[in-house]
Amino acid sequence: MTTAVEIRGVSKSFGETNAVVDLDLNVPTGSLCGFLGPNGAGKSTTIRMLMSIIHADKGSVQVLDTTALKAKDRIGYLPEERGVYRKMKVGGFVEYIGKLKGVRGSILRKRINDWLERVELPGIQNRRCEELSKGMQQKVQFLAAIIHEPELIILDEPFAGLDPVNARVIGKIINELHQQGRTILFSTHVLPQAEQICDRIIMIDQGKKVLDGTVGSIQDQFDPRVIRVEPVDHTCDLSNISGASQIANTSKGKHLLMRLEDNAEATEVLRQIVQSTPVRGIEIVKPTLDEVFIEQVARRRGHEAALQVREEMSHA
Amino acid sequence: MHKTLVVAWREFRHTAMTKAFLIGAIIMPLLMMGLFIIVMPLMMEANTTPLTGTVAIIAPVDVIEEFQSRIESNENPNAQLIDQLPDVVTQDPLASAMLNQPIQNNTNIVLQPSTVENIETLKDDVRDGKVAALIVVPDTLLGKFASDSDEQLEVLIPSSFSPNHTDLLSSAVSKSVVDVRLRRLGHEPSAMHAMVKRPRVAATRLANDGGEKADNEAARRIIPMAFMMLLWIATFTSGNYLLTTTIEEKGNKVMEVLLSAVSPLQLLGGKILGQAGVSLIMLLMYGGAAMAGLVTFALLDLIPVSHLLYLVAYFTMAYFMIASIMAAVGSAVTELRDAQSLIGPIMIILIIPLALWPVLSEHPNGLVATITSFTPPLIPFVMILRITASTEAIAAWQILLSMAIGFIAVLGMIWACARVFRIGVLMQGKPPSFLQLLRWIKQG
Repeated sequence: MTTAVEIRGVSKSFGETNAVVDLDLNVPTGSLCGFLGPNGAGKSTTIRMLMSIIHADKGSVQVLDTTALKAKDRIGYLPEERGVYRKMKVGGFVEYIGKLKGVRGSILRKRINDWLERVELPGIQNRRCEELSKGMQQKVQFLAAIIHEPELIILDEPFAGLDPVNARVIGKIINELHQQGRTILFSTHVLPQAEQICDRIIMIDQGKKVLDGTVGSIQDQFDPRVIRVEPVDHTCDLSNISGASQIANTSKGKHLLMRLEDNAEATEVLRQIVQSTPVRGIEIVKPTLDEVFIEQVARRRGHEAALQVREEMSHA
Repeated sequence: MHKTLVVAWREFRHTAMTKAFLIGAIIMPLLMMGLFIIVMPLMMEANTTPLTGTVAIIAPVDVIEEFQSRIESNENPNAQLIDQLPDVVTQDPLASAMLNQPIQNNTNIVLQPSTVENIETLKDDVRDGKVAALIVVPDTLLGKFASDSDEQLEVLIPSSFSPNHTDLLSSAVSKSVVDVRLRRLGHEPSAMHAMVKRPRVAATRLANDGGEKADNEAARRIIPMAFMMLLWIATFTSGNYLLTTTIEEKGNKVMEVLLSAVSPLQLLGGKILGQAGVSLIMLLMYGGAAMAGLVTFALLDLIPVSHLLYLVAYFTMAYFMIASIMAAVGSAVTELRDAQSLIGPIMIILIIPLALWPVLSEHPNGLVATITSFTPPLIPFVMILRITASTEAIAAWQILLSMAIGFIAVLGMIWACARVFRIGVLMQGKPPSFLQLLRWIKQG
């Protein structure tokens, strides 16, 4: 398996703040890799080092089998803080970025027209960027990131600020690019989003890697602590079950989610539930990435910090 | 290099090929020059509109005769002004060309001698427009000790009378009174005027090489200032554009997209090169207009070709100094108003040559001039002023040394500003202080 990104022992600090600490990570070629972590985890700093916008204090960064600097034109990048030249026309802006990435103008013009059709913005080449809505501007920025047909695409929070319709359009294109064999590194702090579309996950917290693997393998590593019950009587009371507490209703109240307490035996709790009320179905569900991440934070920084991260993520 | 050129072309195109630039930097100045060219002749024309009609005059006969002959003569209306102006103005070819224009007879009036008994009737006639003006010269003004008298001659005119025509009549009649006084004392006025006229002075500079050169004081003062201002306008205008476009890129958050494609140095280089084109256009436009003016008045020989070559060299030096400073400041802030606090102290330093202009042009080879000639970033402004102001050639070693120091300083400033730029473009929030900028130079 070849790697598109290989980071070895990289650290980066800004003054007293250690943004990235001794980080090692590999992104396999052709993967759609989620780069996850809460705000301030060090994701954007790592990505900026991959783009050679900033340089590591120590360690090595290899991108597409060469240095990050030499690979610059082969990478597409949609930064978290994105913008356009307000007075420039859409076609001119995308063409400018494409030229900076080394593509000739004549090729670009046709490509821009095709791509504007694909992102459902046909015929806006001659409109000024300032005339577009925020969502349209974001699609134009996405286009500028991929117009040079890069081998590696780095998307920092690509769905932030997009309405569901536009998010679906961009999500579909990301999938298509992945199908074509391009490597996609997708950074987000919205973990369920990554869980849905990524085949590989890298999680970092406080500048350090805490998890790395496929979604399934990560979920398998963790002891499942949630039981999903579908009772026959939806009004049944399960509060007397010892070793678990109800955390949520799902599917319009048809399912109940119960969290196992730390020392509880899953089989014992299952037995108690089945004895207390008739059920149509009962299962121990795999942990979500949110839960896995919070578990990791709890292990590294304690329960107080984990609760705080859970709070932050629920508001994100 | 390709990427730098792509950035440069965008920078140039989106600054110089915009309506704002065309209107603000090209059309407006041309319009103002055009207006000046059109309005000035119209003003001159207004000056020469003939005075017509009847002018009633109550005065002794000899004054009336003198007045009649004076208004019929083709006297230069500026003659009195020329007499009063200092040599520095009247000997200037441009001023002389304007003051000694072809003279036309400005009057076509009929004099109506009258008596003091009719004065009230004549005043009514002036009010009604039947008479263009009424002049009253009391006899007492012509007495032996008239100069001690407080008595005045009167020129009565309607409310809508042209001020130029008022001046014309007043001047002619008062001169006539003086001439009549002289005649009554037995002197020929023209001989007396010739006698009291101050002789002109021809200043000639004797060069060390044995040559002689007529001194042109006005050119020696105005042309150096024009050269320095040309340098200032061309470099600071484009420097300002560089500042605003850099702030705009940071403010629009487009900077990170750019830096994903180019290095900060490529971006900085491209922006500086692009704005160099804008600056060059300004230089050529304003410089060209000034040269066209000199050609029009056949004064082109006031500017040797060597001065233009020095202008190009010092323009290059000044532009890169100003541009690198402006780009660095632009990269360090996110709003234009934050830039003012950083630009302020730099501007104070760069205003020094303007403040020293009188000293530098008076003593272009003096101690102050020599010291500031080797002090970056004042070098280009001071040197162009010295070279064009000095009546003797500036020592070659001074020019060479100033260029060497200047261009080394340019490299140093670009290096330091690039380090600030590299850090500044990714910074958001509170603008840095000067000390922080120095730290960035150290870190960068």
